[in-house]
Amino acid sequence: MASGYDRALSVFSPDGHVFQVEYALEAVKRGTCAVAVKGGSIVVLGCEKRSAMKLQDTRITPSKICLVDNHVALAFAGLNADARILVDKARLEAQSHRLTVEDAVSIEYITKYVASVQQRYTQSGGVRPFGISTLIVGFDPNDKTPRLYQTEPSGIYSAWKANAIGRSSKTVREFLERNHKPDMDREETIKLTVKSLLEVVQTGAKNIEIAIMAPGMGIEMLPVEDIEKYVESINTEKQEEAATRRPGGGRAAAGGAGAATIPTRPAGESAE
Amino acid sequence: MEVLLGITGKDFTIICASKAAMRGATILKASDDKTRNLNKHNLMAYSGEAGDTTQFAEYVQANVQLYSMRSGTHLGPDAVANFVRGEVAKALRSRRPYNVNLLLGGVDPTTGKPSLYWCDYLAALAKLPYAAHGYAQYYCLSILDKHHHPDIELDQGLKILRMCTDELKRRLPIDFKGVLVKIITKDGIREHDYVDDKQILPA
Amino acid sequence: MSRRYDSRTTIFSPEGRLYQVEYALEAISHAGTALGILAQDGIVLAAERKVTSKLLEQDTSAEKLYILNDNMICAVAGMTADANILINYARQAAQRYLLTYNEDIPCEQLVRRLCDLKQGYTQHGGLRPFGVSFIYAGYDPQRQFQLYQSNPSGNYGGWKATSVGANNASAQSLLKQDYKEECDLKEACGLAVKVLSKTMDSTKLSSEKIEFATVGRTPEGKIYHHLWGADEIDALLKEHGLAKPVDKDNEE
Repeated sequence: MASGYDRALSVFSPDGHVFQVEYALEAVKRGTCAVAVKGGSIVVLGCEKRSAMKLQDTRITPSKICLVDNHVALAFAGLNADARILVDKARLEAQSHRLTVEDAVSIEYITKYVASVQQRYTQSGGVRPFGISTLIVGFDPNDKTPRLYQTEPSGIYSAWKANAIGRSSKTVREFLERNHKPDMDREETIKLTVKSLLEVVQTGAKNIEIAIMAPGMGIEMLPVEDIEKYVESINTEKQEEAATRRPGGGRAAAGGAGAATIPTRPAGESAE
Repeated sequence: MEVLLGITGKDFTIICASKAAMRGATILKASDDKTRNLNKHNLMAYSGEAGDTTQFAEYVQANVQLYSMRSGTHLGPDAVANFVRGEVAKALRSRRPYNVNLLLGGVDPTTGKPSLYWCDYLAALAKLPYAAHGYAQYYCLSILDKHHHPDIELDQGLKILRMCTDELKRRLPIDFKGVLVKIITKDGIREHDYVDDKQILPA
Repeated sequence: MSRRYDSRTTIFSPEGRLYQVEYALEAISHAGTALGILAQDGIVLAAERKVTSKLLEQDTSAEKLYILNDNMICAVAGMTADANILINYARQAAQRYLLTYNEDIPCEQLVRRLCDLKQGYTQHGGLRPFGVSFIYAGYDPQRQFQLYQSNPSGNYGGWKATSVGANNASAQSLLKQDYKEECDLKEACGLAVKVLSKTMDSTKLSSEKIEFATVGRTPEGKIYHHLWGADEIDALLKEHGLAKPVDKDNEE
């Protein structure tokens, strides 16, 4: 029986690291970027979408943003298959919670649950940790305060005003730190989300997914045409900004959508 | 002496349930809701052993909703009915069977076709144009046999329902405190304001 | 250096990769090519059979294409023994769903069940991942004809045309070149043999070397799936001028 495989795969190293958990975080960093931003009474999720290959059927390819319950949305970065399993567990818990206490889960409760599942996989025999981080957003039942939490492979969870996970999340987070304002309205929140994603997504609207949650409403997936509009308005704004800063400087404008994102970044910083 | 009635028509299903919560011959409450929304287009009405009914209904509701969350699509009326039947059948062969009788009313959102399933505590399932549980079976089925037609409009359906509830009030020895009426269409489930204060005396 | 992370069971490497899964993918890239093409009125799956012998029973030993339930079939690339386990599981899952809901399981859900099992083998202790990729072709009333692909990691995605196995890169680029969105099933079959003929080692095909299956709709509107017999495949090959000319072969 004791074949050596039933021991914990993630154990402390002599210098106090749990390597498997740290490596799982690397898997997260290899995943596509996901952003969440809280507004005054709204919370927006944004995801970088791998560019769909020509033959991919976008109609039936699963999304990175999923509903856990009607009022809870989750976006993840990392291994897709792991996320499916974890989301499925969360969905089961959300309904089971309704069945036992007749109330929908609060966002914090379901975050804690997701985090505790992730934690369990860092300390149980013969399993590797989940290679995903999640952003969990939504509104508690009968409440208008937007909620946003993050969970990590280690089982840590934390509440945020705005945050990013996955590829180049550091760049995006720094951007959000500079630009996030309290009590933004719907338009501002969506715009900031799109804008922050454009920091790492060079290919524009077709590689961006946006989901919006408002109190008492389900999830609203923003149509591509609308995202396109946001991207365009952001790009023109940036070009104008660049033009005023450097009159006659045609360089930024000539580069099109990709190059236009550069001027807002501080000098010397690159995407990765 | 609980009343459950279901009538389908052209593009709707009416589910009607008595409002009295009873224990033996005592009425505990006159505003009981013996129905539960399973999803946007499916409603379940139940009667039977008091504890079993709610327990079962909540369990089924949670599972149907879990299905919606997991798959991103909703179960259709036929799938719901078969799932529910399976659960009653499973429990029937266990230590603690549920003593519940059910009516499952739904509308298929894609085709717009209404459906009504009748299921008793022995897990016998039947798809019917109209159905009843309890004493309503004795008093109402003959009326429905005479007046029901698969293509009736909603107002016609409500007229037939009125004939049924009048007959129940006329014949049943105990006041069942009126009925709660819910209508399922392709737009979802809504409660119908069913005025039912006319006194009806037996001949 | 990497020995520590790739020799045992599935654990993360320092870069956050799962070597076992990547090696399983490697195993599949040596397997016979399989491809699927979505058409307006159906789906075609085709696969290259690697083991061929004159003594092999043609009709009974399908090696690459399997029926999952009444409206879904799949093509396999990789370790056939592993595939058998998964196909068995999928068939059971499909029947269990049918038993519970008295309806056929929606395609994506069946794919997901299978992929959840695959994922489990990349996370739970002591087991290697399944060394198979699948292409699934199916129909359900909600989303009509659908084509999916899954790999050992438990990832899956929807496709209009896709391929797995050896030479899958060249097959994929051929598909990309020649796939037309509004093609019908007949054209899709033509494209399938054309792509296979170019990716396989021998230029002339025969029914011994490939397997073929279609999902479609009968004129009455009923959904059918059909694993092609040897004579049907030969007829198709002849039609597209890809068949091995039998007589000439003998003369040479």
